[in-house]
Amino acid sequence: MSSNRTADATSAANRFGLGAMPGTLDNLHDPRGMLAQQIREPSSNKAAFAGLTSSADYLVAEIDYQLDRRARKQDLEAANAASAGGAADADAVKAAVDGFRKVFGAQLIAEATARWQVALNVPIGFDERIVRFWSNHFAVSVDKRPALLYAAPMEREVIRPLAFGRFQDLLVGVETHPAMLRYLDNETSIGPDSRFGERAAQRLGGDGAQPKRKLGLNENLAREILELHTLGVNGGYTQADVTELARAITGWSVHAPRDDRAGGGLFAGTAPNATTGFIYRENAHEPGSRTILGKRYADGGMDQGRSVLNDLAMHPATAKHLSFKLARHFVADQPPQKLVDRMAVAYLENNGDLRTLYLTMLQSDEAWAPEARKFRTPDDFLVAALRALGAAQLPDVRKVAGLLARLGQPTFTPRSPAGFADTADAWIGPDALWKRIQTAEELASRAERSLVPAQVARDALGTRLDASTAQAIARAESPQQALSLLLASPDFQWRI
Amino acid sequence: MTSRRDLLKAMAVGAVTLTLWPRSAWSAGAGGTSSAQPLLLVVMLRGGLDGLHALPPVGDNAWGALRGSVPFAPGDNALKPLPLDRNFALHPAMPYAAQLYQQKSFMPLVAVAPPYQGRSHFEAQDCVENGSQSPSGAQDGWMNRCVANMRGEEGLAIANAMPLIMRGNAKVSTWSPPLPTTIDPNLLQRLDTLYAEDTQLAEAYSRAVAESHDDAVMDADAMTMAAAAPANAAGNGQKAVQGRAYGNGALPDLMGAAGKFMSRADGPQIAFVEDTGWDTHAGEVATLQRKLGQLDAGLKNYHEAMGTAWDRTVVVVVTEFGRTAQVNGTGGTDHGTGGVAFLAGGAVAGGRVAGQWPGISRQDLNEGRDVHATTDMRAVFKGVLAGHLLVPSSVLDTRVFPGSGGVRAMDGLLRTSRVVAAA
Repeated sequence: MSSNRTADATSAANRFGLGAMPGTLDNLHDPRGMLAQQIREPSSNKAAFAGLTSSADYLVAEIDYQLDRRARKQDLEAANAASAGGAADADAVKAAVDGFRKVFGAQLIAEATARWQVALNVPIGFDERIVRFWSNHFAVSVDKRPALLYAAPMEREVIRPLAFGRFQDLLVGVETHPAMLRYLDNETSIGPDSRFGERAAQRLGGDGAQPKRKLGLNENLAREILELHTLGVNGGYTQADVTELARAITGWSVHAPRDDRAGGGLFAGTAPNATTGFIYRENAHEPGSRTILGKRYADGGMDQGRSVLNDLAMHPATAKHLSFKLARHFVADQPPQKLVDRMAVAYLENNGDLRTLYLTMLQSDEAWAPEARKFRTPDDFLVAALRALGAAQLPDVRKVAGLLARLGQPTFTPRSPAGFADTADAWIGPDALWKRIQTAEELASRAERSLVPAQVARDALGTRLDASTAQAIARAESPQQALSLLLASPDFQWRI
Repeated sequence: MTSRRDLLKAMAVGAVTLTLWPRSAWSAGAGGTSSAQPLLLVVMLRGGLDGLHALPPVGDNAWGALRGSVPFAPGDNALKPLPLDRNFALHPAMPYAAQLYQQKSFMPLVAVAPPYQGRSHFEAQDCVENGSQSPSGAQDGWMNRCVANMRGEEGLAIANAMPLIMRGNAKVSTWSPPLPTTIDPNLLQRLDTLYAEDTQLAEAYSRAVAESHDDAVMDADAMTMAAAAPANAAGNGQKAVQGRAYGNGALPDLMGAAGKFMSRADGPQIAFVEDTGWDTHAGEVATLQRKLGQLDAGLKNYHEAMGTAWDRTVVVVVTEFGRTAQVNGTGGTDHGTGGVAFLAGGAVAGGRVAGQWPGISRQDLNEGRDVHATTDMRAVFKGVLAGHLLVPSSVLDTRVFPGSGGVRAMDGLLRTSRVVAAA
């Protein structure tokens, strides 16, 4: 293998992939071809996720849970009113509330386990990193309780199947998923002049009294679609565009308890999508045409918002925004402008085809330049470390989840809809580095005793293993210390 | 990094300036000045706190119609806000702050916003943090630039990852509750040489090693606390100790940790704590009851941890924007403009509500939807930096808040304001 090719192999596995596993680099004879192959035929990982509950079913289960909880609360209150002592009440109600973990905890663990299982076992994992890139681009935080059950399913149900097609489809898929609709509050956004909005206004404020709770528009999702998901913050939209887009996507909602009452009344919508539980509620949709970025969209129900998203997807600002983020994710914190421009052109010329976008990046020399390098985020670090040690399974997914939180990157819990930071300066800090070294030592102490550290190091870092790191590993006082040194070394913190 | 020459240039405004500069070369050399050092903690509430709910303007005639029917706890209309003056009251989840107000060491500021007013969380937060005119006006943070202009000082961010406000060339570090394992010193020795060769990581690494001793001190503190704590702390060894010292890592714990660091003689003079979850598009009443309660507990923890150092401390609590005056269709409020800020600490001239109230009647609202901003947030920061940390106005105008010459430092915020004269 030529030194160029071995350097490429290391970049393919570590900068584009999830991290080299024992044997990966030795068998990677055509690194660039292998990455292209992963784009053409991404692993579906269907088997890993088979058996997990669909969002549609989670919604039903969550509705049942809430109804049950309400009933239990009422029973308790009744019992409380009957007896004199009210002291037990708070604890009992709390117990009922905490029951959420009891009901759904095992499923949350199953979701996390399946995701880790894939991360630890897929070869190279460029396709998997593409999936994770989009999950962070379309960030959902389970800090928001109503979105808690749906973040992991959104990745499986929408991002995995659509991340290698056209961006339009991925965009619509995400914006109609309960995770996003709930995280950014579109679920209950009501057109003020819609039939439902007018009826509610009459009922609540008709007698001249102040409505207790006004139903109406919520522009949270619309704003983030423009700012984060498509055009980018300097994409040239105005507050008016935000409000108009919010109106266009009124009625984009999810299966709710009252859908199950007889007919659902005015609130009713389409039958829930069999996979996601998405419901379009015509009666909550703001009637009339909308004007967004100077273009008029006739009222066409659900299609109105879909048309806007399709146009946003093909906007040059979107092409630039997506290309920049992708190049920054895989190539460098400040990616070469020429590379970004080339990707954006390819994207627009190919009707938003994402495979073309990825391939354009891979086929650019800038993507393989010696100066291309990225700092591993905590999640990258942990995945790569476990892969390097040949760990095919996690001992305890909850422990790993807790560790990631302490390292600053709790899964599906970014600090904002902008997702986790994707540049080194956000992750390089003494305290963060210290916790990494602590983690390295902990992982090494649990590693298989049969591992040969020098071999593990060569397998993990290939040509990028620095001579002084190799020497330090060779001179370590024990195999465990040698593995600690490898995982804690500066070499291992970079994707080169 | 600011060079010595830059610093001298910045200070070339006369001997008066220089002698008032905290920890100037000779006073630091003489030692013992640390006990007089002014301290600053900035707390950022990310997500956009609804000022109209946290600090209801009960004296405004329009308030009743807009918000009068919104309770302060879910389903509890009897719970009333705590009156501060004729016009404003404080959310009932903040009794400790109300008490500080009575002691004249708590001051709400109304209708405050950063210069960017485009209602995007991230743009607005970036603008608050970078201290410039716009979200993209600077790539580093104003607290970092402030540190850069204070020789020998360094900043501390209580965070897992370095927030923008503290990013830059000056010495700053992050801290968050430690992992329970200890690192073999022998491993560290071997890593030393490897990290020395990595230009981008060397600095962070050597600081990590140096600060691990601080962690050891913190752990010792934690042990003492646990030992002093009665009952149910038993069992579970170190885990329980950590749990007790740092709780679940929520705002009250982080502010308490900030207090422990800052009250130490060699602790940071400037620190930053952040919290998320203040974005209340839906279910606002319950969320803010919980979150404001945490802020109140945080102030209490911080005050207690600071001890007498509280007397020379200013805490500034800010958020990126206020929210819509109207309650939206989902029991919450949407992104707005003018918001509330709070000052606390022994050095604050509290006991009054500061800022200019623009009113919330229909014709007074900004774009018909939210509270106008009458105070540029930089004016608040500048007021504190000038009067408390004694940063010269020329440095403030050009360096810490570049291009802010037209934004006058707010005065009257501090108990003993010693404004440094410009040339």
